[in-house]
Amino acid sequence: MHLSSLRSRWIRPTPLLLGAAALWPLADAFLPAGMQVIEPLRTVFIYAILALGLNVVTGFTGLLNLGVAAFMAIGAYAFGILTCEIYPFQIGFWPALFATLGIGAFAGFLLGAPLLRLRGDYLAIVTLGFGEIVQDVLKNLDGITKGTQGINPLPGPTFLASASEESGSSFFGLTWRELGVEDSTAWYYTLWTLLVLCIIAVRHLERSRTGRAWLSVREDELASRAMGIRVDRVKLIAFSTGASLAAFAGALAASGLSSTGEPANYDFQISILAVCIVIVGGVGSVSGILVGALVMIGINSIVLSKAADWIAASGLSSSDNVLLSPSNWKFLLFGLALVLMVHLRPQGILPPSLEDEPGGDEA
Amino acid sequence: MTIAPPHSTFTPPALEVREVTVRFGGVVANERVSFSVNRGEVFAVIGPNGAGKTTLFNAITGVHQPSSGQVLIHGNDVCSPMNINMAVQFGLIAAASAIGAVLAVNADSLWEASISNVFIYDEPFDWTASLRALWDATGNLSILHGPVTAAIGAMVGCSARVVLWWQSRRASDVVAREGVARTFQNIRLFTEMSLIENVLVGMDYRLRTGFFSALFRLPRFWSERRTARAKAVELLKFVELADRKGDAAGGLSYGHRRRLEIARALASDPSLLLLDEPAAGMNPAEIASLMQLIRRIRDRGVTVVLIEHHMQLVMGISDRIAVLQYGKKIAEGTPEEVRNDPKCIEAYLGAEEAA
Amino acid sequence: MTDTEVLLQQVITGLSNGMIIALIAIGYTMVYGIIELINFAHGDLFMLGSFLALTLLGALGLEAVEGVGTWATIGLLLVTSAGFCGTLNVVIDRFAYRPLRKSPKLSLLVAAIGCSFILVNIGLFWGGIPMDVFSMGRAAAAPKNFPNLLGHDNLLGDSAILLTRGDLLVVVVTVPLMIGLTMLVRLTRLGKAMRAVAQNPSAAALMGIDVNRVISSTFFIGGALGGFASVVYALYNNTISFQMGYRSGMDAFTAAVLGGIGSLPGAVLGGLLIGLMRAMSDQYIAAHWTNTIVFSVLILILIFRPSGLLGFKLREKV
Repeated sequence: MHLSSLRSRWIRPTPLLLGAAALWPLADAFLPAGMQVIEPLRTVFIYAILALGLNVVTGFTGLLNLGVAAFMAIGAYAFGILTCEIYPFQIGFWPALFATLGIGAFAGFLLGAPLLRLRGDYLAIVTLGFGEIVQDVLKNLDGITKGTQGINPLPGPTFLASASEESGSSFFGLTWRELGVEDSTAWYYTLWTLLVLCIIAVRHLERSRTGRAWLSVREDELASRAMGIRVDRVKLIAFSTGASLAAFAGALAASGLSSTGEPANYDFQISILAVCIVIVGGVGSVSGILVGALVMIGINSIVLSKAADWIAASGLSSSDNVLLSPSNWKFLLFGLALVLMVHLRPQGILPPSLEDEPGGDEA
Repeated sequence: MTIAPPHSTFTPPALEVREVTVRFGGVVANERVSFSVNRGEVFAVIGPNGAGKTTLFNAITGVHQPSSGQVLIHGNDVCSPMNINMAVQFGLIAAASAIGAVLAVNADSLWEASISNVFIYDEPFDWTASLRALWDATGNLSILHGPVTAAIGAMVGCSARVVLWWQSRRASDVVAREGVARTFQNIRLFTEMSLIENVLVGMDYRLRTGFFSALFRLPRFWSERRTARAKAVELLKFVELADRKGDAAGGLSYGHRRRLEIARALASDPSLLLLDEPAAGMNPAEIASLMQLIRRIRDRGVTVVLIEHHMQLVMGISDRIAVLQYGKKIAEGTPEEVRNDPKCIEAYLGAEEAA
Repeated sequence: MTDTEVLLQQVITGLSNGMIIALIAIGYTMVYGIIELINFAHGDLFMLGSFLALTLLGALGLEAVEGVGTWATIGLLLVTSAGFCGTLNVVIDRFAYRPLRKSPKLSLLVAAIGCSFILVNIGLFWGGIPMDVFSMGRAAAAPKNFPNLLGHDNLLGDSAILLTRGDLLVVVVTVPLMIGLTMLVRLTRLGKAMRAVAQNPSAAALMGIDVNRVISSTFFIGGALGGFASVVYALYNNTISFQMGYRSGMDAFTAAVLGGIGSLPGAVLGGLLIGLMRAMSDQYIAAHWTNTIVFSVLILILIFRPSGLLGFKLREKV
């Protein structure tokens, strides 16, 4: 069966998935303890934002970026430095969060400006190298970044009860806890809302002159140039947008963990995970990103960790046998996901369709 | 026959090719080719395969740079202007980044001096003290001293800008923005985009919606979207493809693709349209309607230059014809003149005998 | 040690490591030259080669071999690893890359990244085999010690500069291989076919060249060189890990690009330069900045001279 036939005028996958995600916490309460997936779902949201950014670069514009983790790290550390109490800035959650959008875009601009004239595969390798450089720099500048300790503690959104107790500020004068909402649920809906906003933003760009230029550059750079499109500029805008969203995702991830973690957390694996999400979901498709994030993070954070729990519970020791530790299968799963998707369904689970693009329904 | 529209001798020709030579390594694809195309004309470039016609088109549109010679569009040597301000700006940015790089190398110690040593937990941060400490610390930077670094940076930046400009001064987007649109011999449509979007990409540089007005859907976005789409639909009607505007361009038949490519080229309101073998692979009925289309385009006031092998089409619609062989122009004139030119007859008959 | 001696020592280390890098880089450059693919899995292939060598040592009980046996053992390891890596590379090409020849270039690159991850995971599992050489499979992810078959004797006698049999081995293995490969590409029918396919596969096919066979041969030769390199690397550095493919692969790729991708002498030159650069940076700047420096060099080369030191420019066809 063709999954793309699921698409119709009436069943739109993106609102469907987001709606289900909005209702999920209600269902989660009824699941038995240990089966609840609110926390992994938050990770899905963060990675969906990351992959959304990568999708602008790789899906729309056709540039393979193997270094998104670097921009995530830049976002996380910028957020950490701007908010953490060991630094003098402490500008608070929301200003810092939106500042990371600008910082990410600027970092993308700086890397992209000289590099985007490179051919596709060279660009991929350079972004990979950039990912390594950022990790090393963050580790080596330990006076600023605290090296391998990471920056912590980091604040959550100020309307969360725990944070508002310290800073004294709150959302419309009320904390969510006063309204009877758990912290974790409020954080969940915050992330959900931000994801929806990011999706809307990317959709708006996609269905505009900017997005058309991205697609045309992906399809045929030379013909685009002959149409008077300034290809380098178009690529740079895409690259900066992607970097900006990646930094945003990094800040959210760091805030969720209340720590940036060590620089080595933002390694090649993360970048490839994001590439997997885009390839598995459907290159250039926003709804595909949601499915891809669900599948890949589902495997990574839900299936593998539940399997580890189960193996531990059944009394087998994973220290004797390398095969018994589910996290050791991660590379294999990522690798297989990439190879199989490219061979069997290169367009992804939910490929973009023309109806998704403008012009189908109006004059 | 068609009547050439009147043109004043005071207005420069729509396209003037002056002594253009294109070399690839040792191969000379075009040698000192010259001709000029008047406004409102249909001008054809013909010649046997491998005569250098497409190379000439590429040289005109900036895909390749002529090794020598000039291409004038409406009397202008198309070239993005070298702007002194831009070079200065680049120099300043590069100088700043050079200083930035030095600071980055010393980032840790500067941070230590200006932030870590000044910040006392639970007390308001003293920004002035921090800046003073930063200033003192930058005085002892280990690598190069500030002014030297800045000067080197500025020089590198200015020269990088000049090199960049030199490389891209006649890139095809610069030429296209002068009002030159083209089609390709081996049709280059955006196959995964719809017909209407293909046309919209064609008019891209005439549109004004920016990144942020698209992101936030400001009123300007909506008004421009409406007019742009209306114009795109009108163009699709012009090439008789309006009923398929939402389909993917990759699904069109060969003849339709050619038409769509022409509509896309017309979308930017070009003053000069270059068609590279528009009739290749078409059947006689399609060719007849293509001739009609080219006449209608000419009637819109667009100057048309075409490369074509189909003699009936060339002789039927061209006001003037240039003949290329082995990269050189061997004849130029009205269809009658060219038809009776002994060199042309030899070039063509010779080529046919050889084939 | 005097300053000059320190410098000379670093030159020796740099050149030895550089030659190993060059050997890996040739694998990248050959495959790129012929199908324009950055064979991402190549570094991990190299890693598996060294794991095979270690397994073989353990299985045959040759960890402490001495005398003439040492060189025979090394010869055996070299041949086995080279054969294994070459064959594996051909298999990967057959099943992962060949069906994608007509797909966009990026799909091919994504497939190569996928293969790389699969090989890394195989390396991780391989380290978990309960054998003595893998410390009975506990801590599968930990780096493994590779027995030092060559000893630590200084061939220069009492000099402060250390030149070991390891350095000698590097030269003895890599130089003939590089000369042989150059001869193969320049002089043989296969070499001519390779160059033809690299220039224009469809024209080569029309001339009666079996393109797929030529590509397979290229993958075999590239992989085999990676296999040789893996044994030399393991004997020279005495430690291997399932993650070393990524690092060495990046170094080797940088070397290939530095020299001009697609060019064999370029790969060798690039390898030597990268090796020297690493050694100098370790000694005179700081070891923890070395990776950053190497990658910055890669980026700078790609910006200012994407065709590398000995490469040539490609032009897009319109």
